[in-house]
Amino acid sequence: MGIQILLHLTVMLVLAPLLFGIIGKTKALFAGRWGAPLFQPYYDIIKFFKKGNVYSTTTTWIFQVAPLVYLATILVSSLLIPFGGLKAPVYFWGDFILFIYISGLSRYFIIIGALDTGSSFEGMGASREATFSCLAEIVLALDFIILAILSKQLILSEMVGGTILSSWPLFGPVLLLVGLSYFLVLLVESARIPIDDPTTHLELTMIHEVMFLDHSGWDLACVSYASMMKFFVLGSLFVNILIPFHNLSAILQTVVFGVGMIGLAIIVGIVESCIARLRLNRIPELIIGAFVLALVGLLIILIKGV
Amino acid sequence: MGLFLLVGLPLLITVIVFILKQDKLIKLLCFLTILIHLLVTLSFWRGFQYVSFNRFLGLDAISQIVLTIISILFFVVSIYQIGYLSEKKGQDNWIFIGCLLSLLAAMTLVTMCRHLGLLWIAVASTTLLSAPLINYFKTPQSIEATWKYLLISSFGIALGLLGTLFLAISAISLKTLFLDDILNNAALLSPSWLKLSVIFLLVGYGTKMGLAPMHTWKPDTYGEAPAPIGALMSGGLTGCVFLAVFRVAQICFHAHLQEFVSPIFILMGILSLAIAAIFITKQKDFNRMLGYSSVEHMGILVLGLGLGGGAIWASLFHAINNAFAKGLLFLVSGNIYQYYRMRKVANIQGVIHRFPLTGTFLVLGLFVISGFPPFGMFYSELLILKQAIAAQHYLVIWFYVIFLAIIFFGYSKIILEMAFGKPEDNNLPQEIKKENIFMIMPLIILAMVLVFTGIFIPDSLYSLIDKGTALLGVN
Amino acid sequence: MWLELVLILIIFLGILILGNNRLGSMIQLFALQSLLLSITPLLIQPGLHAGIITIVTILLKVVFMPTLLFWAIRHVSMRWEVYPLIGYGKTLILCGLLMAIAFLISSKLDLPDKSTSYLLVPSAFSIVIIGFLLLVSRFKAITQVIGYLVMENGIFLFALLLLEKTPLLVEIGILLDIFVGALVMGIVVNNINQEFGSASTINLTNLRD
Repeated sequence: MGIQILLHLTVMLVLAPLLFGIIGKTKALFAGRWGAPLFQPYYDIIKFFKKGNVYSTTTTWIFQVAPLVYLATILVSSLLIPFGGLKAPVYFWGDFILFIYISGLSRYFIIIGALDTGSSFEGMGASREATFSCLAEIVLALDFIILAILSKQLILSEMVGGTILSSWPLFGPVLLLVGLSYFLVLLVESARIPIDDPTTHLELTMIHEVMFLDHSGWDLACVSYASMMKFFVLGSLFVNILIPFHNLSAILQTVVFGVGMIGLAIIVGIVESCIARLRLNRIPELIIGAFVLALVGLLIILIKGV
Repeated sequence: MGLFLLVGLPLLITVIVFILKQDKLIKLLCFLTILIHLLVTLSFWRGFQYVSFNRFLGLDAISQIVLTIISILFFVVSIYQIGYLSEKKGQDNWIFIGCLLSLLAAMTLVTMCRHLGLLWIAVASTTLLSAPLINYFKTPQSIEATWKYLLISSFGIALGLLGTLFLAISAISLKTLFLDDILNNAALLSPSWLKLSVIFLLVGYGTKMGLAPMHTWKPDTYGEAPAPIGALMSGGLTGCVFLAVFRVAQICFHAHLQEFVSPIFILMGILSLAIAAIFITKQKDFNRMLGYSSVEHMGILVLGLGLGGGAIWASLFHAINNAFAKGLLFLVSGNIYQYYRMRKVANIQGVIHRFPLTGTFLVLGLFVISGFPPFGMFYSELLILKQAIAAQHYLVIWFYVIFLAIIFFGYSKIILEMAFGKPEDNNLPQEIKKENIFMIMPLIILAMVLVFTGIFIPDSLYSLIDKGTALLGVN
Repeated sequence: MWLELVLILIIFLGILILGNNRLGSMIQLFALQSLLLSITPLLIQPGLHAGIITIVTILLKVVFMPTLLFWAIRHVSMRWEVYPLIGYGKTLILCGLLMAIAFLISSKLDLPDKSTSYLLVPSAFSIVIIGFLLLVSRFKAITQVIGYLVMENGIFLFALLLLEKTPLLVEIGILLDIFVGALVMGIVVNNINQEFGSASTINLTNLRD
């Protein structure tokens, strides 16, 4: 058990920044540049860890705790999801609700951490994050409900693994819809284009990054690392839903999973290269679109029956 | 031969008109074609038998009624356009006349269809062919009216197509859309799809017919279209679409869905009367008032279908009288517009003093459309009321009488003001035109027709309407 | 299975069209939707009949219609639907609600032909609803035309239920009618532009009571 958890966390800690490196490389290649090295995100994090913290006098202990809680919640939620051949080390009946609530907790802490600085930019970012992620949460919950009905399971790692393979031939359309709507949720939650541009330099248009403007050193390392791992966790769920590989041997599963994750990173890179960031007032519409897609999936299940 | 003269000849002449484009010649050709059409149509009146051309086309009693209405209206308009179009010499008149002739062919086709898919195609093509006619003046207002007409009617016919498809699905065991096959095997239709189909067909064709609440295009279009087109649309085109609605009713009645469809008809009818009553009283534009008047009369038609029994006979009778009355009033409105060059009622005063003939027909028109005793509409409206009383639809009776009274008040206020009001001289154009013989003769013809369809009803008309009523399978 | 995937993609594209505000990409999405639509007859009942319908549909809806629409927006020089009558979010929510109702209704209807997909009727309803919402919620003439065409796509899906039951004549008539409708609408769009300076029906408000 302990070893399993350790292995699970190690895999994620080691591989998460690599995905960002792949996304960056894809975007660079699309733009016709060679771009930063593949391991640039690792260098960045190491650089941040080497620096000391600077705290504003207006901040309190909440500001210092928030990055740690953020990191911790992501680590905990990763334990509920299988990574290819690695089974989820923690699972129990109804744990998908825990998953939703843990991500709620992490969001709560980064929001109050941002509000604690008293800066108007961070307050603005916190308000946007709260709005959009509260909308996205509904869609996420709806997706989980559909998966639960399809697999007749309430354990997250069983919902996305196991019986999903047999559901594909029968419920391909539904899973496709779930996949599409979940992909939009993924983009919202991990603050990628077209929802949020992580590389922009204009604070007014930021959502996620603007909340960490006052963080430095270790804290900044924690939040950046946590964001990368969040993408890894959400992405692995996506790969688990869309690629039915669960009857293969453990090694093959791991290979397929790895290829799937790299593919996801490349897709996100392509999407970011092709699409411009949406205006802020259009983001709720995008999420509602994702909701409608999931709703159609649910309706199909309801009329067809499982 | 009859089929060619009714449908093929107008299309052929359309092509010739588009090639020739010579003003005088095409007007003459148009008149002759429509005259032939009228003669052929009247020749069917000898036997009153079901005329079958082929499996797809044929004329039963109701088709003959509608075809005759169309033919007479087109004939009258073909005389009228000689005077009307002389105002705009040579300018795009060939488009007008070409579209007029092809519209005649399309509308004739609607009356003949014995196949519901073909019926839909014919109804859809009337929409497309009438659009250029409405846009004749090419003013911003007329473009707006054309756009609204096209968009709303296309939407309506799209729903009609859906309804037709649903009907085909419900008749999937028959694998046919031929009207006769469906009527003969109405018991085999799947009821759930049939109900869905009836709703879509009624909403779709109802939009085209101008029933509330899908009537919004009607006042705009009738307000902006040239007067003869208004006459053809409110008299002929609505009659054609009424025929389509009648077919739907026929299928419903044969499939024993009368309880399902009657409330829909009654609701649509009362709603149309209500809308007309609300908007006619405060109307300031004569043509727009005629648009709402058309909404009212369409409402009465479907109300008659919904009440069933004797009201169906009244409904058919009403359709005939409404067509000619609307034709008369629209042509009168065309005359008035030619003289005054204005639309607002406030600017058109004292027509009867200035233009005695036109004014007389204006007042006559008022008596006809508001259902004054000697005319046919009085009789049909009374019959519908009688049926409502017999069927004990007290709420319907109440609304029907109240709305008709309000509408009558609205008509009289507008038309009497126009006819007898004090003319304000400073508003008028300086040169006062004489009444053109070609624009008066159609009014005389229509008034005579109205006398024969309303006051001295020939036995042949009686029996034809009886046969039409019998098509629904009720006494 | 393949048919169902295609149907889902058609619905997905419909929702994308509904949530889009750029006319150019709306037309592209419509063309893509029509392309998917045109292969559905082959998926339902492969054969000569279906092949003809596919080819005609591709020619009309994928090649001709988008070209016409692009021509129209180039001529009237406008790219965006800026202020819709009903906001994008609200239309999407409405769309979801109406689609739910459509799914419920279609579950009540007995399918005439058990061999076709259970998704055909509900997705046809959904596309009709999406087209309807586009038609009523937007001001730009072009968007309304696109809405009408999307609605016709939905009707086409219904017609697929009758693929082998109705004669080819009717289908050709249907396609032809759509074509002429769009042509006439295109001409009117051009006229609106000449008279009002922009192809927005928001200017068409002279006629009212």
